[in-house]
Amino acid sequence: MKQKNLYDSFLQLEQETQQLLSQLDVIKETMSGTLEKDAELEIENEHLRQRLEELQKDNASKNNDSDENGLSKSKQNLEKLYEEGYHVCREFYGSRRENDESCMFCTDTIYEDHH
Amino acid sequence: MKFTIKRAAFIHNLTDVQRAISSKTTIPILTGLKMELTQEGLTLIGSDADISIESFLSVEDDKIELQIDSTGSIVLPARFFSEIVKRLPEETMTVEVEDNFLTKITSGSSEFTINGLDANNYPRLPEIEDTNKLMLSADVLKQLISQTVIAVSNQESRPILTGVHMVIQNSELLAVATDSHRLSQRKIHLDIPTDVHYDIIIPGKSLTELSRTLTDGVDTVEMRIAENQVMFIVDHTSFYSRLLEGNYPDTERLIPTSSTTQIQFDAPVLLAAIERASLLSHESRNNVVKLTLSPADSTATIYGNSPDVGNVEESLHFEELSGEELEISFNPDYMKDALRSFGQATIDIAFTSALRPFTLMPSEDHEDFIQLITPVRTY
Repeated sequence: MKQKNLYDSFLQLEQETQQLLSQLDVIKETMSGTLEKDAELEIENEHLRQRLEELQKDNASKNNDSDENGLSKSKQNLEKLYEEGYHVCREFYGSRRENDESCMFCTDTIYEDHH
Repeated sequence: MKFTIKRAAFIHNLTDVQRAISSKTTIPILTGLKMELTQEGLTLIGSDADISIESFLSVEDDKIELQIDSTGSIVLPARFFSEIVKRLPEETMTVEVEDNFLTKITSGSSEFTINGLDANNYPRLPEIEDTNKLMLSADVLKQLISQTVIAVSNQESRPILTGVHMVIQNSELLAVATDSHRLSQRKIHLDIPTDVHYDIIIPGKSLTELSRTLTDGVDTVEMRIAENQVMFIVDHTSFYSRLLEGNYPDTERLIPTSSTTQIQFDAPVLLAAIERASLLSHESRNNVVKLTLSPADSTATIYGNSPDVGNVEESLHFEELSGEELEISFNPDYMKDALRSFGQATIDIAFTSALRPFTLMPSEDHEDFIQLITPVRTY
């Protein structure tokens, strides 16, 4: 009888663990979804601010498109994404840069001499 | 199947084959060692599905003293079998397979009986024709492996980067590996027709294992390439590895062709300095050392800083320095790996900017060996 109890409690534990695991999965999914949305909104917000700035500038002198590194607007955007911790290279585009380690494919994409 | 053999020779070959046998395999029969006995001799085979090693003991080799009583084949549990063989009392041993794959191992007064498995269930090794063969010097191959596998990625999420990309064309073998943080490229000349062309990716792990079988006594290695397998033959041992499928990223474009700052170091001297600087950087969160080059003052200084522990500053001893001023930060561990692969040589390091990868090359033979390290951006 004792053994049966033991087995039953194992069974129960197993079920609980599985339940917990599936709960964890759901939470993880939700969290990554939220984070993604957050990033998207932030970028969207950034864009809107930029647009606003541009509009506010009226027709003031047309600003120079390159920054101090000689990067074009689109390259600057890539650089920003890269610095936020995402790959911008063709090989791993959009995936997270682990531990913020540098990637030579990305730096090549961003800073390559424009050939 | 029954044979008698000198234990020392058998153990030597068994050790080679065992490199391929893993206890953590999904196919149970692969935890075993396959033995195939013919009138010509005894073949030992080990495999983990990625790597397979086959070793042949010829009946004609007098040193082995191989006596064949009856031919056949068997698969025996590798771990037990090798432990048993290593501890047997006499110089020779006899292996005899009885009914139901029961195998008797005798040496002197000691007798083991272990359960074997049917060798027919063991996966077949691929057959690779000898039409596509290349002869390589064992020393050069070993060096090439040690210089490139350091840059191989260990992240399974990027399978293609866990291999070494080998391109054979124009009588040259170009081997490249990168984990996207650093890159290592080695070129060797081969005595083959210029129209021989191959483009393959060999898993870094396979090359590391292969390199271990290239002991000092080995002169040349034969390499054969097939559709999805590569085979290396060293004496009586054949080493098979699967190839990685897919397209390796174009790495040619990553290697800078020009530079703005150049410095020359004695590799061991710089290595010692980097090792000192990294003592503290390892404690810090981002593991970075900073190098400041000032050609105008003719100084090169390295800094390591860890907010919790302290900092280090060292003025570096270099051979030559020219070009523009530069301040650049990088991961010292990549630098250490790269510098070790140069041995005692003098090296040239060339920088383009604080954001672009920099190159390390031996001062002699610029063409043949190049390492690339991406800097870390600091604010």
